[in-house]
Amino acid sequence: MATAITLETGGTVWKLHVKAGDEVSAGQEVFILEVMKMEVPYEAPGAGRVKEVHIAEGDVVTEGQTAIILSSS
Amino acid sequence: MSWENEINDIYRRRELARQQGGEAGIARQHAKGRLTLRERIDALVDTDSFDEIGRGAGAPEHGPNGELTGFTPANFVLGFARIDGRRVIVGGEDFTIKGGSPSPAGLRKSVYTEDLALQYKLPLVRLHEGAGGSVGGSGGPSLPAPVFAPSRFRSVAQTLKQVPVASAALGAVAGLPAARLVASHFSVMSETTAQILVAGPKVVERAMGEKLSKEALGGAGVHARNGTVDNGAPDEQGALDQIKRFLAFMPDNVHQLAPVRPCDDPVDRAEDLLADIVPRERRRAYDMRRVLQAVVDLNSFFEIGRGYGRSQITGLARLNGQPVGVWGNDCRHLAGSMTADGAQKAQRFIELCETFHLPIIAFVDEPGFMIGSQAEQDSTIRHGARTVLAAASSTVPWASVMVRKSFGVAQAAHYGPEAYVLAWPSAESGPLPVEGGVAVAFHREIAAAEDPDAKRRELEEMLAQRQSPFPRAEALAVHELIDPRETRPMLCRWIDRVQPLLPQLIPPAAR
Repeated sequence: MATAITLETGGTVWKLHVKAGDEVSAGQEVFILEVMKMEVPYEAPGAGRVKEVHIAEGDVVTEGQTAIILSSS
Repeated sequence: MSWENEINDIYRRRELARQQGGEAGIARQHAKGRLTLRERIDALVDTDSFDEIGRGAGAPEHGPNGELTGFTPANFVLGFARIDGRRVIVGGEDFTIKGGSPSPAGLRKSVYTEDLALQYKLPLVRLHEGAGGSVGGSGGPSLPAPVFAPSRFRSVAQTLKQVPVASAALGAVAGLPAARLVASHFSVMSETTAQILVAGPKVVERAMGEKLSKEALGGAGVHARNGTVDNGAPDEQGALDQIKRFLAFMPDNVHQLAPVRPCDDPVDRAEDLLADIVPRERRRAYDMRRVLQAVVDLNSFFEIGRGYGRSQITGLARLNGQPVGVWGNDCRHLAGSMTADGAQKAQRFIELCETFHLPIIAFVDEPGFMIGSQAEQDSTIRHGARTVLAAASSTVPWASVMVRKSFGVAQAAHYGPEAYVLAWPSAESGPLPVEGGVAVAFHREIAAAEDPDAKRRELEEMLAQRQSPFPRAEALAVHELIDPRETRPMLCRWIDRVQPLLPQLIPPAAR
């Protein structure tokens, strides 16, 4: 089953830690958004493999955008 | 039996009233994936607890000899019922008859719903799906209300001062039902079946030239995100469940205290995650909801208003079984700053707690009012100052936990009068955050320095030291500097201490 990580707010992608094909564990930080000078980390909701990555470092992103799709292992 | 005909008539009318808008009307309602009002009431209240009032209200049809040939019931149903064993008043529009647009008897019953809640001092639940008045009139001969009649909205206003009012939008809700929907302490809309509209698409197109669907005009995408309703729910049942959860925290009326439940979550539970949830890097965000949930009784947190004013998190929860209001800043959203809509949400939250005598616990990470041109256009300072004043005028007990930032005028909203103040080691406070403050106060020094960036960082570091919580503790500017894991035990001891103060908050009876 695939799970999407969607953005709670707009901002700028500051750091992206994963690429398609990576294995991630539950709670692992996968990227950091910069919002109002705060670094907002996003975590994988469950263990799985990164299926799709829709963001890149430096991207200006908007709320509700799909950032990453995970397939659960 | 001399009254046999009349008695038969009574049963006949009751039977006709139960048929609502008839088989076709009910089938249309079901075809749209929506329940009828009577099904909604059954889904909300304890089994067989609905005790209806005014079953005979409606419009009869008579044959040439005066015999009853038909009966159209009032399209508003109301009565007493129980939810989790506690008595409430429940009512709502019956959409299967005239689309819920008030019929004369329906209007009368809807007004009586509020009167009954006031008379019996019981929580009021309204389940809405219906349109406002019709230009063709409500049908049937009727005189306009006399000038000396009390305002129709007087009892609506009085309920908000006397009893908990919870409402749900379950289908399209417009006009008068929409006004009633939002005249509540808690409102929820079904995201799949409900829209809320001052006026529907046809009226809007005629007047404004805007051609929009009901959903685009007033669906959950609009109204669960702008504060019109407090919460969205995935479907009708989800909305009804939220009403039950809300009412469980509420007293029956303002003359009582909220019901304390036995609590099997240990009061001395200390969660290790609290010791390191706030990152040392001052710019790094964390999840405030985890903090709230780790402190209050397990699974007791009920969030209100998640869809709007999102830099502030508000809700209800229990501490050792005692219902409390819970408020925290969400630094993941606009750094947790006090925006215009966040301020309005927080003010509504404070007023709810004040009306029903709920102690407030605030988890503070407030960088200040939101800044910038959009924030100025939103009149952030006006809404923000009102929230500060709502906190300052409140009389319920407050406990405020300084989790991280506490800055500017906005921070004052998070500490009620005589608040019990605890500070975590990560707390930093002052008139404004160092980053902004240094840029203003030391702009000459920074500009004159050989390496302005290094100078700025050096000054920021120096001043950040001064915002440490240790000097505050030394000056008794906080009650206690604590290990974050002590938060629950200390707040549970506090909630025990304030118990004798709560009965003093109850206003004297009117008569």
